[in-house]
Amino acid sequence: MTSTVRLMGVAGAPGIAVGPIWRFGATEPVLPATTSRQVPGQRPDDAIRAAAAETARQLDALAGRIRDLGREQEAAIFDAQSLMALDPTLVDDAVQRAGEAGDPADAVRAAAGAAAELLASLDDEILSARAADVRDVGARICRVLRGEVLHLPAVPSIAVSDDLPPSVTAEIPPGFLLGIALAGGSKTAHAVILARSLGIPAIVGISGLIVAVDARATPSAPPVAMAMDGERGEVIVDPGTLEAAEFRQREADLALRRADAAGLRERPTATADGERVLLVANIGTPDDAPRALAVRAEGVGLFRTEFLFMSRQTAPTETEQAEAYCRVLEAFGPERPVVIRLADIGGDKAIPYLQLAPEQNPFLGVRAIRLAYANPDLLLTQLRAIWRAGAAANVVPHVMAPMVATIADVELLMSLRDQARESLVGNGLPAAERMVTGIMVEVPSAAFLAPELARRVDFFSIGTNDLTQYILAADRGNAALAAFQDALHPAVLRAIAGVVAGADAAGIPVAVCGELAGDPAGALILVGLGVDELSADAGSLDGVRAALARVTRPQLDALARSALDASDAETVREMAGALLAPAG
Amino acid sequence: MRADEIEVRNPSGLHARPAALFVKAAARFVSKVTVQNVTTGAAPADAKSILAVMGSGAAKGHTVRLTADGPDEEQAIAVLHDLFASGLGEELEA
Repeated sequence: MTSTVRLMGVAGAPGIAVGPIWRFGATEPVLPATTSRQVPGQRPDDAIRAAAAETARQLDALAGRIRDLGREQEAAIFDAQSLMALDPTLVDDAVQRAGEAGDPADAVRAAAGAAAELLASLDDEILSARAADVRDVGARICRVLRGEVLHLPAVPSIAVSDDLPPSVTAEIPPGFLLGIALAGGSKTAHAVILARSLGIPAIVGISGLIVAVDARATPSAPPVAMAMDGERGEVIVDPGTLEAAEFRQREADLALRRADAAGLRERPTATADGERVLLVANIGTPDDAPRALAVRAEGVGLFRTEFLFMSRQTAPTETEQAEAYCRVLEAFGPERPVVIRLADIGGDKAIPYLQLAPEQNPFLGVRAIRLAYANPDLLLTQLRAIWRAGAAANVVPHVMAPMVATIADVELLMSLRDQARESLVGNGLPAAERMVTGIMVEVPSAAFLAPELARRVDFFSIGTNDLTQYILAADRGNAALAAFQDALHPAVLRAIAGVVAGADAAGIPVAVCGELAGDPAGALILVGLGVDELSADAGSLDGVRAALARVTRPQLDALARSALDASDAETVREMAGALLAPAG
Repeated sequence: MRADEIEVRNPSGLHARPAALFVKAAARFVSKVTVQNVTTGAAPADAKSILAVMGSGAAKGHTVRLTADGPDEEQAIAVLHDLFASGLGEELEA
């Protein structure tokens, strides 16, 4: 007798699914290796070469089918895998191993494993990711050798596995994949990206999943069912009628929320009594722009530029940077301002060309604007690139500096900004007419100095993640301190209220670009405290928009007042939640 | 034997897609073709093996040395050089 099991993983792609489980990969690790099927009299090396050739043919055919569906990037993976199946290095190694060990399938698996390890050892993220492709090719050749057929789901199902290789997901007919639940994998796994593009839920890193599923699977019983919520990262193995109904209800709610959100996108973001709130997106690369525009972000409140500086041997050139910034500025146009954040880098990241000294406490160390005191070139180059991008895109660029702690920091920022423009103009190069220049308020000293800083800059943007970490002196990366990391803590909210007061006195706007801005409860508190602009991941904007549309300014004022006097973050969250709960 | 040196300009180096194109082209020649990552000092790799080519770890900015040895060596080097220069099916940055 078994019972329902509720497990948690990492949310990969949103959505709800309830259905039978299709268990991929169970036979490979669980059952003992069966003897390879050999044509009587066929030598092991001939068997391996024939199976490899057959595998290459299958992969070529798969590439063709996927290419016809317009999925060129996936098709290219299968092209490469087809070559791997025929690869002389792999096949010769397998033949040699078969001569020593006997079983051709074991030999192929060992050879593919060795080749995969070689790729995984390369100091190159993209190439080492191909290791999984080689293992997959090895598994395919083994299936051919053993005469095994890949059992694809016979009815629409939820795939359960340790990991799901692209060559398997591509074989599943459209509509037969209801969701993907993986014990391994990461949020960037191929299967998650696929799930997002298919609009089905995906959850990764579910510990205990395989054991729970396999314990319930018996050859005679019908397939085990499962319910999953890709937004919460929750799965239920073998759900009872009650749980299945609960997930069906969530599914209906989600459909309703999505329809509402789509309707709200067509109108400017505002409270129920019509007060406008500027809702913008956080982006990490120019490739994030389409997603932000699709959910009707009114601009970008935080364009992180670190992607330009990481994973490379030399510093990005001014031209390379200008092109990247220009792409984003042009995508959003003159009506939707884009705030470019100057590089937030320091001793916690290995950046070979900067030769940063290792530090005991990199988050309290020489990072971001602080680097510019000794070495201004990095920021000067970036600022010149932004001036040029503004001119090229014909918009007024917005920039902000992270880690500003003192008035001297602001003076350095302004002087570098002006120096950058002068050097361009001096060389006859085009530069934007002006640059809207703000600072991030994420260091406690900057919050205390808000009135003085506000008179010197064009806007504030509060980084609630770091502000919380610094105010509560709790390392963001330390899971043991999770209770200290809720930005709704009244101590943090009081700091935000002070920053807003300082900004109001000088007449400059205040944005929030931390995770708190994308949390519906957090958004209500922030707008209640007088924040003008919320910047969050594109996926959070619909939820924030819907929350704001349900409340009025007087309600938000009252909420903010009681939140400031609350004793802890949990109480604040309950207060905001009460405002969001459906009436009746 | 013919040889040629060329710089990798593909943004992500010789990853799966450009490597696949290169290997397919190399496999059309009878000559023995090798590719060696001069920048890292790796040993010459069989250009007809996608695993060996990807395993050479040729990243953007690295220099690779091509060699061909056999009856069609001259043509092999010419074709593979042009393929590299044209970006192996990818758009190169200016």
